[in-house]
Amino acid sequence: MDQLLQLTISGLAVGMVYALIGLGFVLIWKSSSVANLALGQIVLLSSWFTYGMLVQLNLPTLLGFLLVIIFALALGWVIERIALRPLIGQPILSLIAVTLGVGYFFEGLVTFVWPANSAALPRIFPTKPVQVGSAVISQEYIWIAGISLVIFLLLTAFFRYHRLGVAMRASADDQMAVQACGIPVTKVFSMSWMFSCTVAAVGGVLLSSIGMIAHGLVATGLKSFSVVILGGMDSFGGAMIAGPIIGLAESIGGGYLSAYVSGVTDIIPFVIIIIVMMIKPYGLFGETRIERI
Amino acid sequence: MKKGKLALGLSLLSLLVAVLTVFSACGTPATTTTTTPAATTTTGAGTVATGAPIKVGITTPSTGPAAEKGAPIGHGNLDAIEYINAELNGINGYKMQAVWLDSQYDPAKVVTNMKYFMDQGAVIWGTASSKEGTAAMELANRNGFPGLVSFTSPILYRPPQHVYGQLPDYGDDALAFADYYMKNVWKGRAGKPKFAVMILNNPTGFGARDAFEAKAADMGIEMVKPYYEHSDTDVSMMSALTSIKNVKPDVIYISSTPRPTALIIKEAVALGLYPGVTIASGHAGLTKVLVDTDGADVVEGVYGVFPTASWTDDVPGMAKMTEYAKRLHPGDVGNMDYITGWTQSLVMAEAIRNAVKTAGYDVVAKGDAASWKAVETQGLQTLKDYKVGGLHGPVTYVAGDNRLAKSVRVFQIKKGVITAITEWIDAPLVKYETYPWFGK
Amino acid sequence: MSLPCGTRNYTYAEDMAIFRTKTHWVFLACLTVLLLTLPMFLGKFWMGVANLVLITLIAATGLNLLVGYCGQLSIGHAGFIAVGAFTSAVLTTKMGMPFLVGLIGAGIVSGAVGLIFGIPSVRVKGFYLAISTIAAQFIIVWGLSHWGLTGGSAGISAKDPSIGPFEFVSDTSKYYLVLFFTVITVFAAKNMARTRVGRAFIAVRDNDLAAEVMGVNLFYYKMLAFFAGCFLAGIAGSLLAHCYYGSLSAEYFTFTESILYVAILIIGGLGTTLGPILGVIFIRVLEQLLTVQVVPALERALPMLPSGFASGIAPMLFGLVIVLFLIIEPRGLSHRWNLFKAAYRLWPFSY
Repeated sequence: MDQLLQLTISGLAVGMVYALIGLGFVLIWKSSSVANLALGQIVLLSSWFTYGMLVQLNLPTLLGFLLVIIFALALGWVIERIALRPLIGQPILSLIAVTLGVGYFFEGLVTFVWPANSAALPRIFPTKPVQVGSAVISQEYIWIAGISLVIFLLLTAFFRYHRLGVAMRASADDQMAVQACGIPVTKVFSMSWMFSCTVAAVGGVLLSSIGMIAHGLVATGLKSFSVVILGGMDSFGGAMIAGPIIGLAESIGGGYLSAYVSGVTDIIPFVIIIIVMMIKPYGLFGETRIERI
Repeated sequence: MKKGKLALGLSLLSLLVAVLTVFSACGTPATTTTTTPAATTTTGAGTVATGAPIKVGITTPSTGPAAEKGAPIGHGNLDAIEYINAELNGINGYKMQAVWLDSQYDPAKVVTNMKYFMDQGAVIWGTASSKEGTAAMELANRNGFPGLVSFTSPILYRPPQHVYGQLPDYGDDALAFADYYMKNVWKGRAGKPKFAVMILNNPTGFGARDAFEAKAADMGIEMVKPYYEHSDTDVSMMSALTSIKNVKPDVIYISSTPRPTALIIKEAVALGLYPGVTIASGHAGLTKVLVDTDGADVVEGVYGVFPTASWTDDVPGMAKMTEYAKRLHPGDVGNMDYITGWTQSLVMAEAIRNAVKTAGYDVVAKGDAASWKAVETQGLQTLKDYKVGGLHGPVTYVAGDNRLAKSVRVFQIKKGVITAITEWIDAPLVKYETYPWFGK
Repeated sequence: MSLPCGTRNYTYAEDMAIFRTKTHWVFLACLTVLLLTLPMFLGKFWMGVANLVLITLIAATGLNLLVGYCGQLSIGHAGFIAVGAFTSAVLTTKMGMPFLVGLIGAGIVSGAVGLIFGIPSVRVKGFYLAISTIAAQFIIVWGLSHWGLTGGSAGISAKDPSIGPFEFVSDTSKYYLVLFFTVITVFAAKNMARTRVGRAFIAVRDNDLAAEVMGVNLFYYKMLAFFAGCFLAGIAGSLLAHCYYGSLSAEYFTFTESILYVAILIIGGLGTTLGPILGVIFIRVLEQLLTVQVVPALERALPMLPSGFASGIAPMLFGLVIVLFLIIEPRGLSHRWNLFKAAYRLWPFSY
């Protein structure tokens, strides 16, 4: 029982991390139907930038974070302006392929500027573990869960109530129609990329404050991909629920099954996804597409 | 407007192509001559012999997931070759030249790079990681193209063929630590100590797994089954640690890269497992990054095994290495992996020297099957008590054992410093191929 | 429209012919000569790269049937290639079957696995379909590296291919073997695409509901596309195992590789015969050029630069070139080629 509680708690905690990065993915998808394959690299790049600010330049923490946010906004703007803007109106697959190219570019850039390739961020959160019943959890995870929730609420509110948020949803639906309504699609895209990069940067900073900054962050970014697919690619709520589900499955499945099958943790999320696909093809909370000829 | 955009794009592209061409143009001559002036002046004793340089193929994971280790190793490799040419009179007067390629830690790339080395007439190949060595193994064995892998796993040379281990393998680490633990910590207490093993899901981890599988029973160690595998992308190790906590082991042995190792130790502390159990790490995970990431207080007392000297050791080869590292790659000073690369080139050079002495320059320099054979049988296999400047254990080839250096030291992290706590320990040869489960 | 003026078709067969004008035939002759004499111009290493290009082309052609013609997005192609590679290696190395049996077996097993993961395509499409193929990628690779039969984590070796008494040992002989299969594949795919099956694929891609209403059996054709695509992936996998790697480990078949296959198609041009050819040559040659020429040259030529410079420049350039190409020609290289042809034919009166 103690073990189950511990596994549940740590699974939920890790799941919130996945969920947070997943939000950055949904943001882009919701506003432009583009799958951002460079997400992992954006996470990596912004973690390194944080390292540059906090450790190499030795700035005070708050100022450093402010600069990171500004950097992420600028990064999003640049990506959209240079790589994606020229492709508006082109086949959606081309846009997806461009993000792949952007990902490679950032990966090179990181090696280029920070050849050290792994480093530790200064501790941001207190590390003293918290006791939950018989289980323990690092405080960092509680912080992360809190921050993810706040970002989730902000994004949901924004997309539901703000004019721009509504415009973003509309432009994902039908770019032509949106342009005809006089909504500047370019501005919508640009904003969504800026927001998405910021969310990814926050996720990156949190992730690398738990572990360290290393190339593995790219793969973690990709893992959030499966979270998003499980939750439904256009649903913030879906990502927030699917993240913990995957985290739990990994943790509990790994905890009990790895005694029989070694290394089974790696594929548990994907088995779940296949099962969900059979039952709810558009993810748990994705919008079912209704088509007419 | 459309035209303008296109023209802009095309001109950018042509610029890029031009840049590429320029680079590849200077790439071609660069493979036939050594470029830096430091390498062309010979200050060491002996005469300069005329003849094409002798090529060695080196591939390191300088970008990608293992770049934290690959990049410094690659720098060490190349800097050592500069040093060999400038101050050690090359290889008996002939220049040694590196054909260096980045592998991105992608085994598929390693295969392609190996083909390039064979095509370029390299006489020996070298790589850093056991995963890459495994990828290169098939081509090496099929063609009799000898190679030197610095971070090794038993799978590479059991049974011994054409791949040589520069340093003791991950299995040797595990056994050296187990031996140390039994003698100095457990000290003949009643019962058997329980070892839980956490391994990375590639040869780095499997090497340690195989070693325990083979020898734990003989050493009087009870293993916690199964071996806990993880991947280098895992965000948390809590689930494995929780079930480890349930079985109450005496030792947690980790054979993995720095990031997962740091994560395991940190979460073991959070779970209240450590301090309490003994934690030890194989040499892939024991680096300074570990201390930086977790903080000195968290990793205090963690054991580890490492096969090379530390930068603070007073050994004959240290001064030159420090000098070159400071001049060419100052960022790598203090990095343990740099030593591995540096010594790999030294061992290669020594082996080729031996081969040139007995087989003659003309045979060796060609870079064909005959010269590979010469370098292997009259070079690598004649290495005897080569000291490598004391930078790691002495290099000796014993028939039937492709590990060249066999000694490791046990370290412990004390107040944030990774400190050697034993003298060099010779790791015994384990004939893994005699076990029916090996390589399955 | 896509023909030079003055070319008239009197029969359906003529209209459908691949090679029609004199120029076409001249091009074909030149290409044949070039392909057959290629080993004379290339060194041993680039011969290996040529093999890699041809094998990748087989896989990409398969993916093109699936994604380009039938519109079923698959981001797990490397997984299906892995199935083929391991099937072939197990059949030949462990069971002692001849190479050709391994090759065909690889195609069939791979196709069958493709069918299993293709079933969800009946209900979903677009990026949601990518889910099951991504899952396929990870589950397959995990399975291969944990299953005893496939050698587990240690991998498995694959012999040089041999047909009857002929053994293909050198890269040049392997080149001709691979070339033979590649040419067959490309023509078979082209023929599939311009017959009833191909038109059904295109109908499904453009609007599957409309296609169904018109009497196209959606389930049948989607499954057929998955089978054909994965069959070719299997063939490519087998050739990759025997003619390129020589030994296999599940780690060769990464998710990144899968994504790269989709990128190859997009850069070359989806749903065309020429697209995969151009895309494969572009990506593979660029990759090798960067690894063996540009990066080492930079490492040597510019030692004063920060130490990560040379290594970092390769992925940077790779990404940059992909981005630039897509910005300049989002519909793929083959589209640009068509534009060029049209411009050339109409010149100097381009209206």
